[in-house]
Amino acid sequence: MNSAAIATQGLTRRFGALTAVDDVNLRVAPGQFFGFLGPNGAGKSTTIKMLIGLLAPTAGRIEILGLDLAANSLEVKRQIGAGEVPEGMALFGRLTGAEYLNFAGRMYGLDRETAANRAAELLDFMQLADQPKKLVTDYSHGMQKKLALAAAVIHGPKILFLDEPFEGVDAIASGTLKVMLQSMIARGATIFLTSHVLEIVERLCSHLAIIHRGRLVAQGSLEELRAGVEAQAAAALPEDCAHAPAVPGEKLTLEEIFLRIVGGSRPVDQELSWLS
Amino acid sequence: MAELTVAPGVREQLAAVARVRWQLFVNSLRTLRGRMELVSHIFITLGFAAGGIGGLAASCGAAYYVVSRGKAEWLAIILWPIFFFWQLFPVVATAFTENFDTSNLLRFPLSYSSFALIRIVYGSLEPATMLSSLWLLGVASGVAMASPPLFPWAAIALLLVAAVNILLARMIFSWVERWLAQRRTREILGVFFLLFIISFQLIGPLMSRYGRSAHPDLRQFADRVLPIQRLLPPGTAASAIASAADGDYAIAAGTLGILGIYGAAIFWFLDLRLRAQFHGENLSEAPALAESSGQRGIVRAGWSFPGIPGSVAAIFEKEMRYLSRSGPMLFTLIMPVFILFIFRLTPSTSHRGSGSFLGGSSDMAFPIGAAYALLILTNMVYNNFGSEGAGVQMYFTAPVLIRSAILAKNLAHSTILALEMVLVWIGASLIYKPPALGTTLATLSGILFALPVNLTVGNLLSISSPKKIDYGTFGRQRASNTTVFASFGVQIVVVGLAAVTLMAGRSFDRVWLATIVFLVFAAVAWVVYSVVLKSIEHMAFGHREELIAELTRAS
Repeated sequence: MNSAAIATQGLTRRFGALTAVDDVNLRVAPGQFFGFLGPNGAGKSTTIKMLIGLLAPTAGRIEILGLDLAANSLEVKRQIGAGEVPEGMALFGRLTGAEYLNFAGRMYGLDRETAANRAAELLDFMQLADQPKKLVTDYSHGMQKKLALAAAVIHGPKILFLDEPFEGVDAIASGTLKVMLQSMIARGATIFLTSHVLEIVERLCSHLAIIHRGRLVAQGSLEELRAGVEAQAAAALPEDCAHAPAVPGEKLTLEEIFLRIVGGSRPVDQELSWLS
Repeated sequence: MAELTVAPGVREQLAAVARVRWQLFVNSLRTLRGRMELVSHIFITLGFAAGGIGGLAASCGAAYYVVSRGKAEWLAIILWPIFFFWQLFPVVATAFTENFDTSNLLRFPLSYSSFALIRIVYGSLEPATMLSSLWLLGVASGVAMASPPLFPWAAIALLLVAAVNILLARMIFSWVERWLAQRRTREILGVFFLLFIISFQLIGPLMSRYGRSAHPDLRQFADRVLPIQRLLPPGTAASAIASAADGDYAIAAGTLGILGIYGAAIFWFLDLRLRAQFHGENLSEAPALAESSGQRGIVRAGWSFPGIPGSVAAIFEKEMRYLSRSGPMLFTLIMPVFILFIFRLTPSTSHRGSGSFLGGSSDMAFPIGAAYALLILTNMVYNNFGSEGAGVQMYFTAPVLIRSAILAKNLAHSTILALEMVLVWIGASLIYKPPALGTTLATLSGILFALPVNLTVGNLLSISSPKKIDYGTFGRQRASNTTVFASFGVQIVVVGLAAVTLMAGRSFDRVWLATIVFLVFAAVAWVVYSVVLKSIEHMAFGHREELIAELTRAS
């Protein structure tokens, strides 16, 4: 597992009788923009929580940048950023944005001056600098998202974990975030992202993994996944043609690939007929 | 297709809220922690039940005694303590009081009357209302036993007293919450309080000069205040019952009318707040803060202290900033001085006293204030992470040891307690007289012992039994039942031990002996504290999932 930025081996997490994550073997190479997809309840959040140290695995092993997470948790945490975590953003509502970023910087080991300077830069970049006295609790959802992301990168992490970073963020902010994330990739960082907005994942991510009912059902580059699905479709029964591209010769979109892999179309006719 | 043709009724909405609360309770029993909470709740309820039933019997007996002797107007002596308990207990004992959050209800098609009713009814489901209602029932029973024909009058008068108290408690809560929510109103309130306490320095000499001859005992005190107290709700209720006992039914009815006017006036003030809440008022600091000019592009460097790691200093700074922005928490911090002030006003039952409670032992004001200051820190010390919300996750994702975070919080709470000691010392000096050096040293060394005991148990409970609290909303700083129960036990042992030691030293005129004993205890307690702190990392990681789940859950 040595050359991987993120690697898991037999990663499993059970909650009583429920196996939320079942024997997952992930491998994310350094510098990849990696999309981690799955339907609701598939095990994405549980996996990401284990990867950033919020949840202990029932079984299996996690290596980040070649270090065992369980044995070197402090060293690993210095290298990663995880501002947006599955259980809501890790924000402190009764601080101002600047105070929060300052706090985050010092929690990651930056000295006072560096933390303050980077906090000012990040506030400016995220367009959060115009209300310096506003408390985080009074920020809009989109502003909180941007602040959480700023806190996640203030120490210059080598790996960034993001859970639904574009959810509730306006188009302008979304553009800002994408620019920032792509520049991080260009500088050699690795980004591990979960999102339900498949168009964004398709545009940003070079590699993907799909988890379904706790098990990893696909992993590879977008082209590899597409080729796999198309090969399966070619060998499949005629009724599966419903999922074929609308125009022959066009590439399958990520949404089509995703639906092929996890299944998921259901007829909505005659359901909830009382809705006006 | 079904149509929404009928607006939901108040009764259905009240029932729906009751069902939700019941379902939340049932769901909470699924976890071990939830079941422990229930057990603690049962013990706390049993304690309150004992107080309630004891008070009921006492108030019944007292009411029977005064009415059977034809002194129904003396019912005021029973009704006044009930009134004070009803209004002060929720403020003084915040650990036992919870403010029901109804803001989420605003999204439903709720009429204003339903909203107001839900706020009043469910907001009143707290110990002070329950106990006081029981005691009023005792008064009514006593009156009925002494004079059955008087019962209907007593029942109406006491029901009105209950209504006035419920409305008044809600009104005080909602207005104090409003004033404490924003820095500007908080500062105005703080200045008023400061002036009030300082003015006591002037009133004190006057009271001691005229007090001895004016009211050396309770009876003379009561004689003096009786005419004034008749104009206020408890006295008005007693007057109405007394008038009915004398056969002056018109006067009795008129007096009950005055009580009704009190209720209506209080409701009017409460209504102002409830309407503002119903219309979605925002009590955040944002408007006030937005006005102040912040310098864009410049971020001030965080705090630093020699020899303290940056992460610990950062958490310490965060704790202090949270406290400075929490009106309710700042309010509770002035309560020890407020308590001394209440003691100063309370008449002494002893002929030896100088006219007030503690009058003969005014050097005990500082130890009592200090013990109370320690008690009110319980909500913070025993629920270290309660106010973090989802932010708690940062302690587990950042490269920082949990014990460093806990140490920073302990440092912050110790600093607050030190400031409290200064405040209490000044308050005791102004309201009574400057405590003697021996008493001051004994008290401080007692605190030096009690602090590590509380921090140690508090750290363990903060991890094993956390509860999400809201620093910004009055009455939502309550820890879990398990924590309240356990901390109460610790306080009884620690404060009890300290009180016995101090009293023993005092009675032998050797207060310095108590100081030495406390310092020995303190040395042992600090050793235990550091041992527990060193081993807390493993425990914190073992509990991180419950900790995060509790603090990130929706309210």
